[in-house]
Amino acid sequence: MKIHEYLAKDILRAEKVRVPRSYLVTSEELAEEKSLRKCLERLGFPQVLKAQVLVGGRMKAGGIVVAENLEKSLEGIRKILGMKIKGEEPYGVLVEEYIPHDTERYISLSIDRNVRDAVFVYSEVGGVDIEEFASKYPDKVLRTSNIRELPKDLQEFAKQLYDIFVRYDLTLLEINPFVFKDGDFYALDAVFHVDDSALYRQLWAYEDTEETNSFVPFENGEIGVIGCGAGIVMATIDILVEHGYKPANFCDLGGGATMESVYEALKKVMSLCSKAVLNIFGGITDCLEIAKGVVNFKEEDPDFEIYIRLSGNNEFLAKELLKKHGIYAVDDMKDLIERLQEDEKVQKRGVNDVF
Amino acid sequence: MFFKTNTVCVYGGTGRYGSYHLKRMIEYGTNVVCVVSKNKHIQRMDGVPVYQSLSESFEKPDTAVFFVPPQNVLEAFKDAVDNGVVNFVIITEHVPVHDTLKMLKLAREKGATIVGPNCPGVINPHERVKVGIMPEKYFKAGNVAIISRSGTLMYETAKHLSENPGVGVALGLGGDPVVGTNVSEAFEIVKKLGYEKVLLIGEIGGEDEVRGVEHALKIGFSPENIVAFFAGRHAPEGKRMGHAGAIIEGERGKVSFKEQRLKELGVKVVKFPWEVKDAWRIW
Repeated sequence: MKIHEYLAKDILRAEKVRVPRSYLVTSEELAEEKSLRKCLERLGFPQVLKAQVLVGGRMKAGGIVVAENLEKSLEGIRKILGMKIKGEEPYGVLVEEYIPHDTERYISLSIDRNVRDAVFVYSEVGGVDIEEFASKYPDKVLRTSNIRELPKDLQEFAKQLYDIFVRYDLTLLEINPFVFKDGDFYALDAVFHVDDSALYRQLWAYEDTEETNSFVPFENGEIGVIGCGAGIVMATIDILVEHGYKPANFCDLGGGATMESVYEALKKVMSLCSKAVLNIFGGITDCLEIAKGVVNFKEEDPDFEIYIRLSGNNEFLAKELLKKHGIYAVDDMKDLIERLQEDEKVQKRGVNDVF
Repeated sequence: MFFKTNTVCVYGGTGRYGSYHLKRMIEYGTNVVCVVSKNKHIQRMDGVPVYQSLSESFEKPDTAVFFVPPQNVLEAFKDAVDNGVVNFVIITEHVPVHDTLKMLKLAREKGATIVGPNCPGVINPHERVKVGIMPEKYFKAGNVAIISRSGTLMYETAKHLSENPGVGVALGLGGDPVVGTNVSEAFEIVKKLGYEKVLLIGEIGGEDEVRGVEHALKIGFSPENIVAFFAGRHAPEGKRMGHAGAIIEGERGKVSFKEQRLKELGVKVVKFPWEVKDAWRIW
């Protein structure tokens, strides 16, 4: 999960990493103009206004502005709060003191799945075009898991960052740029991603995204996809596309789906398209629960077409129940596709008959 | 963790999923010797003693399988490794990645093997031993080893393989970005167990399958004996598909890239799961 810059900087500050003095302005803050003016003046001028959004590239989108005086700053804050950056409305504006500096450097920590360890990426050149620089001069970018391979003057700073990376369960910690001033390193920007699986112990990271990994809608889909297990759902999507269909979503019920979760998934899918395939291979999952969920749904929405593949745990009872309600289930993925194609042919023929 | 001689301890064996799979593992033939659970009221489950820590147990198992909640996995791991366990199967999903890294570090120091987290476990139909959650009836004994990053697709392909040529042993590595046993290490295990034919089930994200096959060829597998199937060919870029590891973050994580590399190495890639049963016959 991505974390807003102001929150990341609060953590850096608490962990004794130097960051510019700052003040977070939200719409409510703006309404209290008198006290806001005081706070801004205390930061001094020029000051940097930074839109708090979770998308990258906000500088180029006009989300970062330098203001020379109070009036310009207020004007800038209003403007940023009213704009959308790559479709996202800013949560607020972080107003920071301006730190004069000569060179900007880059450092990050992430988890490398191949070496299965945390990895530092360091470059003497930082700033907005770091990706371009890194692809042009890959030999100028250092990748290492060993702090001692970083430049000597950086090692203590890097150690601080590493401790934060572990203690706050981050999967990405990026400081771009950081600068050297008055004998210390300053983090001018910070990007934090926190591990979703660790949110139970990282309560400072609030949940601000509704979309879950288990339900992902696609654009212009025509057939819903529901299954148990990420792999089988991905494979079902692949098979549909290979046979000329446009999937409307990815939906993983996970292991141990209940009749309620099946019912709700079908309702969600129904808002996207007019038919769906259910591909269930019950290991942990009880197929009877799936069947019950389908039956409940069908009673309310009999016209929504569902193609079902059921294998595994309690398969027989589940199929019996479905049959009682006039719903037919196959036990192989290939049969599922063939049925889908056949029905389509029949429907097409039906149209021809009318003409 | 593949043999009758292995002694298995089930962490979290009194819980909803743990108790169900404890029973199924015992019925299948796995040599389960004890359960470790935080539940203070249960002394025995399906004929095996329940302890709060493995240090209370007289018997010292060599293998542990975890059904504990994610926040207790690291603690359970320390308990097991301190008491001499060397094989770990971590079924639990949503284990924080920094906990996984800590476990991996400890495992390296102690010479232990971890399969998972977020995995279906391992099964050997010849010995009727399974340390995991797979529906065993779809695994008929044969001569193909399965190495899989996806649980359900392992069952799916095993079902087809069971018609012919059967499953020798199957390892479900798990869907997290960082796992205890990667594809390269899985090939090492399979080689040690004496299998030549391998079905590799991969998915989008990372480059583990390509690295794994390159390694396999180095240690003596021949390319015509390896067949691969991938999920996520048509997954949208940048979106996470359920598995924490299944997200395309660059060219190398795409199915098309992996498939092309494997083909260059002489490995056959099938497009649909039902094609796996004939994949070796055609060669």
